[in-house]
Amino acid sequence: MNELMEFLRLLITDPFGLFEALPMRQWITEAVNWVVANFRGFFRGYVSPPVQSVMQTTQWALGGIPPGLFLVGIFLIGWRAASWRVGLFAFAAFALVGVMGVWDALIVTLSLVATAVLFCVAIGLPLGILCSRSDRFATLMRPLLDIMQTTPPFVYLVPAVMLFSIGNVPGLIATIIFAMPPMIRLTNLGIRQVSQEYIEAAEAFGSTPRQILWKVQFPLALPTLMAGLNQTIMLSLSMVVIAAIIGAGGLGLEVYAGLERLNIGQAFVGGIGIVLLAMVLDRITQGLGDKAPGRAPDERP
Amino acid sequence: MIRVEGVTKLFGPDPASVLARLKAGQGKAELQAESGHVLGVNDVSFALEPGEVFVIMGLSGSGKSTLIRCINRLIEPTAGRIFLEDPETGSEEITGASPERLRRLRRRHLSMVFQHFALFPHRSVRSNVAYGLEIQGVATDERLRRAQEVLAMVGLDDWGDAYPQTLSGGMQQRVGLARALATEARVLLMDEPFSALDPLIKVTMQQELKKLQARLGRTILFITHDLDEAMRLGDRIAIMEDGAIVQLGTPEQILVNPRTDYVARFVEHADPTAVITAGTIALPLGDRAFTPLGERDGLRLLGHRDHPTLCLGVDDAGRLRGAWRDERPLPLGELGRTLETPPPGHPRDDLLLSCSRDEVLRRVLRGRLHSSLPLLVTEEERLAGLIDEPQLIHGILEKRGPRVEEATA
Repeated sequence: MNELMEFLRLLITDPFGLFEALPMRQWITEAVNWVVANFRGFFRGYVSPPVQSVMQTTQWALGGIPPGLFLVGIFLIGWRAASWRVGLFAFAAFALVGVMGVWDALIVTLSLVATAVLFCVAIGLPLGILCSRSDRFATLMRPLLDIMQTTPPFVYLVPAVMLFSIGNVPGLIATIIFAMPPMIRLTNLGIRQVSQEYIEAAEAFGSTPRQILWKVQFPLALPTLMAGLNQTIMLSLSMVVIAAIIGAGGLGLEVYAGLERLNIGQAFVGGIGIVLLAMVLDRITQGLGDKAPGRAPDERP
Repeated sequence: MIRVEGVTKLFGPDPASVLARLKAGQGKAELQAESGHVLGVNDVSFALEPGEVFVIMGLSGSGKSTLIRCINRLIEPTAGRIFLEDPETGSEEITGASPERLRRLRRRHLSMVFQHFALFPHRSVRSNVAYGLEIQGVATDERLRRAQEVLAMVGLDDWGDAYPQTLSGGMQQRVGLARALATEARVLLMDEPFSALDPLIKVTMQQELKKLQARLGRTILFITHDLDEAMRLGDRIAIMEDGAIVQLGTPEQILVNPRTDYVARFVEHADPTAVITAGTIALPLGDRAFTPLGERDGLRLLGHRDHPTLCLGVDDAGRLRGAWRDERPLPLGELGRTLETPPPGHPRDDLLLSCSRDEVLRRVLRGRLHSSLPLLVTEEERLAGLIDEPQLIHGILEKRGPRVEEATA
């Protein structure tokens, strides 16, 4: 009788002490080791090269532009995409980064972000479209997206390094994983939000499902898609410091190196550069979103 | 052009299973309470003749919008068959067509105009109009040229580059109409196209649709909840209640002879003067009130009990050849021609007017400004009857013709 009481007491106060701890850590370590042992060749041989080559090409292209020309270009892009104010701001922000002596780091970071965003769109857009067309697929994707968005990146940095070795690639992979969910979510949302009346009209004229997607749903979802792109860019930027820990360069490295050497000034310069880059990219993509043709009548300014 | 046979639509988890109950005579309310299925359309059959405007009228919830969507299968009917009958290409069943064939039918033969326009906000007006051609794969130049032609037809030549949301409601629906006309589909499905418009714009649009229709001769299925609109546009009208057609006929047939209380309530406030025709309210020659007065100069003479001074002369073919009052000959006039002249200050009592039996009462009434004598009604030029003041008043108020007392002799 006493033994039973004791068992019940323990069940309330310390239920986990009654059983042996689940060897979850060991399992995961073994699983990761197994994956690394068996698939490293695959990841390094097939996943790494495309990411690497896109990154290198982007960096080569952006780095090849003379900084003066680049400033003019960013002004024009800001002006056309949003307004002359945004153009001017972009010009000033980039000029300030250059003046602070971290222009090259800015170009590297911009290339990192561009590469990550390119892959996020290339993978996220089709997945988002699939989600919008199949409830079952959307339900399957949802927990996966939650995991991608909420798992702390530090958790998968080390396995990433084990698979890809240090450098830009593991950082990029981590960034792509972290930044892709809003692209998928907002593509799905944008397409689903297109009013049924337009779809009905398109159907009544004999459109195929594909024509409905590309001629009606997609253009009308564009403002939401642009919001997704904007979020993806912002999330990629938030990863550049973390990516620097495993060998990515650019402004993130300035911050990380500054912290390591307790060089507060260097860290801040890198930080300010990241913030300015984020603001410029945010304003430009928001401007694109506002100008997208799919706005509903009452939203159009 | 379109033949609809026993089309039924039930909304719910398992409509096929409920079909038997419906056949067994369960009503809409019963069905809903016992099986949770909503009856949208109940065993509807009708046929659209080529070139006619067929109006389906009913209150909201009567199933008219569901029915029109069954025709091009935006809504899949639960039972029944629908055929497209093209005089040139023959008969083709719409129900049961594969997705591929259904798309071809929608592209080539059935186009649609929507209550809330449903214009694509991301496309210019011209590109909206060209949409149907675009998805058929018509080349850009060609489809934009044709879109421009159709825009000119609806009076929007200069608005091709504008975006739909910058246009007024009436203009937007012109674009909707142009979009439907552009594919040159023979059948036009119009789902309450003018219901969202201001009353004044609405009337303008109705007039323009009539004009366009006179020119293009499409076959139009037109949905409305507005009786005046139905009467104005429809060659024939079907009235729907609880998913079923309760009466089908010409506007006049429905107005003069409403078959159920529901229809009667509908038509109660309709303006009869635009719909009821002279032939309906005229006292026919066969009535006892007409009396033979012998013959003169080869003409058969006729008198009327209530107009003893009047004498009508009819030839062997039944045509009116002369009229006398108190033995003095009366000048004869034709209503249509007389109405083209301004009315005299006071109706003349020495002019006898006649009109065809198809003239509507509004024009008959206007004729009273010209002549105070009874109006003669002809059918294919033969004298058919007579309308005097009591019949006219009776016709307008009661919306029906006189009770005829057959002559015994």
